[in-house]
Amino acid sequence: MELNEREKLMALNLEEKINQSKKVIKEAIEKFGTEKLAVAWTGGKDSTTMTWLFREACRDLNIPMPKIMFIDEGYVFEEIWDIVNQLKKDWNLNVIIAKNTDVSDKAKNIGDMIKVSSLNERNRSEIVTLGFDGEEFPFEPESYVGNHLMKTVAMNTFLEENGILALATAIRWDEQTARIEETYFSPRSNPSHVRVQPILHFKERDIWNFIFAYKVPFCVLYNDGYRSLGAKGSTTKMSDIPAWEQDLENTSERAGRGQNKEEIMGKLRDLGYM
Amino acid sequence: MLGFLKKKSKHNKAIVVGIDGVSCRLLNRFTKEGLMPNLADIVSKGTITDMTASIPEISSTSWTTFMTGVNPGKHGIYGFMELQKGSYKWRFPNSADIKSKTLWEIAGEQGKKSIVLNVPSTYPARPLNGILTAGFVALDLKKATYPDMAYEYLKNIGYRMDVDIKKVQESVQALALDIEEAFTIREKAILYFLDNHAWDLFIGVITETDRLHHYLWSALEDEKHPQHNFFLDFYRKLDTFLGKMYERAGDDIPFIILSDHGSIGIKQEIYLNAWLKENGYLKFKKENPETFEDMLPESKTFVLDPARFYIHSKGKYPQGNVTSDEYYNLRQKLKEELLLLSVNGEKVIRSVFLKEGLYSGNLVDEAPDLVALPYEGYDLKGAINKTQISGKGFLTGGHTRDDAVFYINRKINVTNINIIDVAPTITSLLKIEHNGFDGKCLI
Repeated sequence: MELNEREKLMALNLEEKINQSKKVIKEAIEKFGTEKLAVAWTGGKDSTTMTWLFREACRDLNIPMPKIMFIDEGYVFEEIWDIVNQLKKDWNLNVIIAKNTDVSDKAKNIGDMIKVSSLNERNRSEIVTLGFDGEEFPFEPESYVGNHLMKTVAMNTFLEENGILALATAIRWDEQTARIEETYFSPRSNPSHVRVQPILHFKERDIWNFIFAYKVPFCVLYNDGYRSLGAKGSTTKMSDIPAWEQDLENTSERAGRGQNKEEIMGKLRDLGYM
Repeated sequence: MLGFLKKKSKHNKAIVVGIDGVSCRLLNRFTKEGLMPNLADIVSKGTITDMTASIPEISSTSWTTFMTGVNPGKHGIYGFMELQKGSYKWRFPNSADIKSKTLWEIAGEQGKKSIVLNVPSTYPARPLNGILTAGFVALDLKKATYPDMAYEYLKNIGYRMDVDIKKVQESVQALALDIEEAFTIREKAILYFLDNHAWDLFIGVITETDRLHHYLWSALEDEKHPQHNFFLDFYRKLDTFLGKMYERAGDDIPFIILSDHGSIGIKQEIYLNAWLKENGYLKFKKENPETFEDMLPESKTFVLDPARFYIHSKGKYPQGNVTSDEYYNLRQKLKEELLLLSVNGEKVIRSVFLKEGLYSGNLVDEAPDLVALPYEGYDLKGAINKTQISGKGFLTGGHTRDDAVFYINRKINVTNINIIDVAPTITSLLKIEHNGFDGKCLI
C-alpha cells in the first residue's frame, strides 16, 4: 500500500473508519463466505472492536456471524475469561476455544516441565521443526517451544479442522513500526489461508473513542492501567491509571510487551556489548 | 520565569547533575591542574568523594539503583540484556521492567514536580508529575518524552537522544565533533527546562562523557594523540556547564553531582564465554554462534555482559542440566578458577561474588548466579563469538566500579558511599517521607 494511502486512511474520522472496516469485512464475506471465514478474538480491546464490526456487517447483510476463534494458551487472565464469557452470551457468539490440550494436559502449573516423548506425533514433529532437541521443556506459553505449541499449533489445528480459508485478526498499523507493511488482505502459508485485517487504520485512540461512543464492553484490566493484553505473566502495566486516560500519543502501547530488538542490539554493540 | 522561581522557597528542592562514566580521580586531577576552575570553586563549597557503583558496574544497573535507592534484587535491572524466561532468546529490559518506585514517582505521590532529563534506562517514558525525556537506550524521541509539550520543544531545537556512534566509521574526528554537538544541544535543553519550568527535583544527565571515554580514552593518555586537546576541551566545556548549573542552584538549593561508574584505559578485553568454552563449561552447536539458542544442552554456564555468570540449571532453562546438588560446587569451582585467570602473567579478576551476597529482594531468582569484577584495565565481556580469551576491541576506555564520583554542596563526613545512598539523600533534602530504601541518607 502506498504511504499516502495509508496516511489518508489513518487520518479518517471515526465514522469513516468504521465504514472502511465494514467495507473490508463485507468484501471478505463476499470472497470467502461466512462458513470458511473465522474471527480471531482475544478478549482484548482491538479484537472486541473488530468482532462488534463483524456483527454490524452481518446484520446489514442479514447473514449469520462467522465462527469466533479464541486461543487458550494456558495462561489467560481471569478477567479476559470474564469478558469472553459475558460477550459470548450477550452477543450470542459461536466461540470455539482453540487449545493444544495434548500439551496443557501434561502440566499442572506454569513452569512445569513437559517431556517431549509424552506428546502426540503432531506436537513432536512441530518440536523437531523448531530445532529443539531437548527431552523436556517448561510449560511457559511465551517461551519459544511453549509459544509455538500453545498458540501457533493451536491456531493451525483450528484452521485445518474447520476448513478455514480466511482468518480475521485485529492488528493495527500504529501498534509498531513493523506493522507498517501490512495490508487488509494478506496471504499466509502452512496452512494456506488469507489474513483479513479490517481495523489496520484504527489508532489506539480511535479504539477507545469507538468503545465509549458505542458502549462496547471491555476487559476490566484496562481500568487498572494495562494498555495491551498478552499472556498473564508476560504482560505488565505501564501506569495505574485507566488505559484510555493515559498519554496514548506519547507513550508506547506495547511497551509492556514487545521490543525493537535489532535497533537496541545495534546501540548496545556500539558501546561494546553483545 | 527564573526570577519567579528564585523567589520561591529554595528549601525542599534539589538539583542533580549526572555525568555518565566520570571518574572521581580524573575530576580531582583536572580541578588541581586548573582545567576545571568552576568545579574547583563548587568543590570548595561542599564535599567531593569517590563512590562505588552497582554490581555489575554498568549504566543500566547503576542508574536504576540511583533512581530507586534499592538493589537490583528489588528493582530487577541486572544489565542491558537478559534471556527470555523459559527460552534462550534475547530480551532487553526497559522502563517497564523497573519494579521499584523511582525518585520522581515517590516525589510525585507527595505532590512534588520532577524534571528528569536523559537518565539512562527510563525509556519508554512513563507518565509522571513533571517532565521526562529518556536516556540510553532510547529509540524514538516521542516515546522517550512526556508530556507532549516537552516533546514539541525538544523536536524543535533538534534535540539528540544520543551521540551518533556510527560517525566513528567515518573518522575519530567526526565522532568527536558529534560528541560535542550532542553535548551542546543537551546542555541547551537542560538549561531551558531548568529556567522555564517549575520543579522540586531537577535531574539532568550528560552521557557524552561516557561516549568520549569509551572511544577516546587513548586521546587523554597520549599527549600526541590528534584528539588529545579535544578531550581536554570537552572537560573545559563540561566545567562551564557545571558552573552554569551551580549558578542557578546557589549555595542554598542542594546541588548534587554524580556519575554511575568511573572510567579507565583498557589494557585487554577478556572474553569470559571463550574462557568457559576453553574450560569445558560451555559448548555451542556452531563454530560461530550468534545467540544462546546455538548453545548445546550439556553446557553448564554462560555469561551475559559484562560478567554475569548464569548456571545452566535444570528447571530454570528449557535444556538446563545442572541439578541443585551440583549447583553450589559448580559455583565454588568457577569462582576459584576465575580468581586464578591470568593474561600475560597478570591476574585479571579481582573478585567473584555469589548472588546471595550481592542481592536481596523478591527478584533475586532472576539474578546472575555469579558476578565477576576485574582489576583495573581489564574489560570483562560476554561476547559469545570470540575464540580467544583476551584481545583488543574498538573501545579504548572501560568502566571502574570504585571510582564513580559524588559531590554535594554540603559538608558531609561519610565514607563508603555507594550509588544506592543517593536516593535516600535526595528524598531527605526534599523533605519526603519514604520507607523501603536499601541505601543510607548521607546528610
